[in-house]
Amino acid sequence: MLRTGLKTTFIFLFALGLTADGLLGQIPRRRANPDAPVDEVFWAPSIIGMSSVTNIPKGNLNVTILHAFGIATNGIEDLWGLDASANIRFGVDYGLHDRLSVGFARSRFDKLYDFRMKANLLRQTRNDTIPIEIAVKGDFGIQTTKNGFGFADRLSYFISLMFARKLTERVSVQISPMFSHFNTVFIEEENDHFAVGLVARYVIGDRMSLMVEYVPVLGKRSDGTRNALSMGLNIETGGHVFQLFLKTSQWLTEQHIISRNTDNFLDGDFRFGFNVNRVFGVG
Amino acid sequence: MMIRRAASLVLLLAAAMAGLSRFASGQAFMTESGYIEFNSKVPLHSFTGRSDQLVGIINLADSTVDFYIDLETLRTGIGKRDKDMRKTLNVEEFPFAEFFGKLITGFAPVLVGPQQITVGGLFKLHGIGLPIQIEGTLENTADGLRVRAEFSLNIEDYDIVPPKILFIRVDEIQRIRINALLTPISH
Repeated sequence: MLRTGLKTTFIFLFALGLTADGLLGQIPRRRANPDAPVDEVFWAPSIIGMSSVTNIPKGNLNVTILHAFGIATNGIEDLWGLDASANIRFGVDYGLHDRLSVGFARSRFDKLYDFRMKANLLRQTRNDTIPIEIAVKGDFGIQTTKNGFGFADRLSYFISLMFARKLTERVSVQISPMFSHFNTVFIEEENDHFAVGLVARYVIGDRMSLMVEYVPVLGKRSDGTRNALSMGLNIETGGHVFQLFLKTSQWLTEQHIISRNTDNFLDGDFRFGFNVNRVFGVG
Repeated sequence: MMIRRAASLVLLLAAAMAGLSRFASGQAFMTESGYIEFNSKVPLHSFTGRSDQLVGIINLADSTVDFYIDLETLRTGIGKRDKDMRKTLNVEEFPFAEFFGKLITGFAPVLVGPQQITVGGLFKLHGIGLPIQIEGTLENTADGLRVRAEFSLNIEDYDIVPPKILFIRVDEIQRIRINALLTPISH
């Protein structure tokens, strides 16, 4: 009886000792946010001509300088398109929230001013509780060339819903149903175009990735409108992402790329272009 | 008689252990919202990363000091730089920077104002733990223990290659500051 009592005492004290040790030991390490979104499904807010699901973080300003030169296959006569008239777009986008950004830009062609907004409805999480990213993007353009058009005739609109997934650390894909509308068009043109943006990105190193985008137009389209195809290289250098690419369309806004591209990549109608993204922390 | 004596001994020891446990917990202080920042230098420029999710416990009963930070919570003000930092630190594999050690110098909770202290222990980062001594101040306030400390780390000691772009390289010496209010642990 006595032996049993002492044994119980010993176990009891041992258990108490463990409790005391637990109080004095290390804190269990816990991740602050195990459901955190994956890092950058794409490196930049745009692929080439299309937008990506990647948004501008809150308080960050992304400045872009986008160029698309002339057709490259004309050879040395115009230095593979570099001598030809280029379309240029300067833009800024600001992150109001990690999931919401607004921006505006000015393009040389059509002296176009465009205002845009992008919102992430879902973010893909690290532990796959949410397996995909979903974002919506809207753009509103005003062409300002002197042509006698009224204000409403100058307006164009674009909206897309982007579904993307970072499949591995190297591979990301995106599919984006999209719609564009021009208030006023010429007789051989359509006001509305539906298209699907198909995008893939492959990371080839810490600082470089390859990307390709194809935008087939579905249903009715303006006479001569061709599906746009682009491919390029991302080079990331800290605060910058340089994007070098070959693309069919010389237009730099999505509503125009869908509806006004008349070039065919496989016929050799592609041009060199680049985009410089520079991020500043201003918030 | 013997049984009664043994039972009394059990109760006495149990009471003593429970008392010790309460004493220990009464002198244990914890935070999950401490502030930590690091300062990094690159030529002609410097930037600061911050987090207010420093987790720590100081137990005056046995002088243990235990702090950790989930490195993913650090923000430098530019999202792309944060992503680069996470890649450099390999946060997926080594998510925490942590210190576990003891107060080397004494601390008198009854004294008013900050007191100089030194802690010694193991600082672990990027999967590598190295002994370190950190100096700072500890102050017993009405709300709890206020700890402030500042120290330097050479990230190369932790097998971290400072990011480099062309000729621009982040300095391997990182200045760390912490400021946290630890409140008494209640049970």
